[in-house]
Amino acid sequence: MFTELNSILNATPDSFTQGEFILVSDRQSDASFLIHHFLSFYLRARCKVCFLGLVQSFSHYSAISQRLGVSLTQAREKGQLIFLEGLKESLSILIPQETTTGSQAMDFLRDPTVGLQRLYEFVRSSVSSDGGGEEGVEEWGPPVLLVDDVSVLLSLGVSAGAALDFSHYCRATVCSQLQGNIVMLVRCHGEEAEDDGSDEGSEWLLKGLTHQCSLTLHVQGLPTGYCRDIHGQVCVYVDANFLIQTEHIRDTDLLIIQVFRFS
Amino acid sequence: MLSELLQGTDTGAVLIIQDSCSYSGQHLLKSFISAALNKEEPVHVLGFDVSEEELKDGLTASTQRLHFHSAYTDPLGWTNRSAFTVHQFCVEELTHLLKQTSHPKPVTLVIDSLSWILRHMSPPAVCKSLQQLKKGGAVRAVIGLLHADMHQRGTVGSVCHLATSVITVAPGTKGDEAVAKITKRSKLGKVTQDEEIFSIKGDFSVTVVSKTSHAGRRQTEPEEQQMDPTANLTFNIRLSDTEREAKEKLALPFVFSKEKKTALLQSGPGSGRILYEPDANDDYDQEDPDDDLDV
Repeated sequence: MFTELNSILNATPDSFTQGEFILVSDRQSDASFLIHHFLSFYLRARCKVCFLGLVQSFSHYSAISQRLGVSLTQAREKGQLIFLEGLKESLSILIPQETTTGSQAMDFLRDPTVGLQRLYEFVRSSVSSDGGGEEGVEEWGPPVLLVDDVSVLLSLGVSAGAALDFSHYCRATVCSQLQGNIVMLVRCHGEEAEDDGSDEGSEWLLKGLTHQCSLTLHVQGLPTGYCRDIHGQVCVYVDANFLIQTEHIRDTDLLIIQVFRFS
Repeated sequence: MLSELLQGTDTGAVLIIQDSCSYSGQHLLKSFISAALNKEEPVHVLGFDVSEEELKDGLTASTQRLHFHSAYTDPLGWTNRSAFTVHQFCVEELTHLLKQTSHPKPVTLVIDSLSWILRHMSPPAVCKSLQQLKKGGAVRAVIGLLHADMHQRGTVGSVCHLATSVITVAPGTKGDEAVAKITKRSKLGKVTQDEEIFSIKGDFSVTVVSKTSHAGRRQTEPEEQQMDPTANLTFNIRLSDTEREAKEKLALPFVFSKEKKTALLQSGPGSGRILYEPDANDDYDQEDPDDDLDV
């Protein structure tokens, strides 16, 4: 799927740049289709994937991945995919029962001011190889962290600074230490306002993440307005310095490419 | 001016590179590190934003004198493996850190980036530490990278105020060029500003492409020769001297010239005079018809 996007990013499931932090952002649009794309891409590339699904249930992603030709249930059983189902875990924290012993990843719901250290520790334990040398355990490729999405943490009471610290630590562990990749989705609402750095909302978080990442895919509607066939455009920024391509997206199956070189 | 700053700074200099999301100042920071290393000066780097490999990647100068204090892997002490945490940013700790490696030459301290520190420590504390570093003898110069769009304008202003030079980088019109706005404060208090277009090559050497200063404006193209519209006509529209004189003497009928004004104001013989005395009814104020508002 999305062979054109793969060709622009020079990535195939067999060979892709390692140690990359890819930021997917959208404004008044829905970029989650890119998360599904990257999930199926990295599973096909036989990477060990840690997926923080904070906004949808496992069955939602599973159904879409089925259509893309990847089985999430199988991957989870084989140990290739570690899936944090944020919605289910949060229930066990908000309505605690004696029998529930969930992971402590979503502990920030109890006290959002504490920060996301527990969530980072969950990520770290998921991506680091267990070693052990058991018989029959398959060897997977470099680890990949997918987060859908970071901005929902802001609405759960976590400060934007804590979210940036979390992404920094993930980057240090996954990208620099383990040479894996990270794909994070951040969603912004409203117009691109002159925040002046005072309002620590999703725009400020987007700026902070842009400084940290190596590649940004920004999804937005067409500047000319609504069009029946074309839903929007994806702008690809490398190193935040120059735009290499703008693509027009038309539902999840087809891509119309418009090459736009910034020179 | 950018080349001067790269070449060397006097003692007690604080240089701040301000960048934004649209253009990263990381490469320019590396150019400064490279220039200092080329002059065989020891450079200590407090790395928050990038890892040691990423910083050293591409630096052709000998990295023997480059000491990297990694605050990248664990800046907040979450994994208890950190070499330097963000809360250790104070003069005592820094002096202690720098004293661990002795140098014959004065040290240049590079902070990458100040934004990380400003997010976790209060701006007054950071400014105080920077000022003490500036005045104290531990380092010769401090170079810091600041992401200006991540902080309030007041914070950015305070930090830049105690800097001796501030370089604000922005993307240029061409792909590999960028614009640098430089403000330099000399010890005597004189402030010079400059704007230059530069590009950074693969080995992190900086080429200043052009200067855009207010004094040297580009020469506008010489105006085209005025076409003479009265040439090559089949009829004559030129005026001879007598005709021009007559034209200028002519009084236009509806122009209120000085002579007409005086003639009207002074009543001629036999014409009526108008006597006017102000009447209360004439003084009608539309906004105050009953004349009872206390304005």
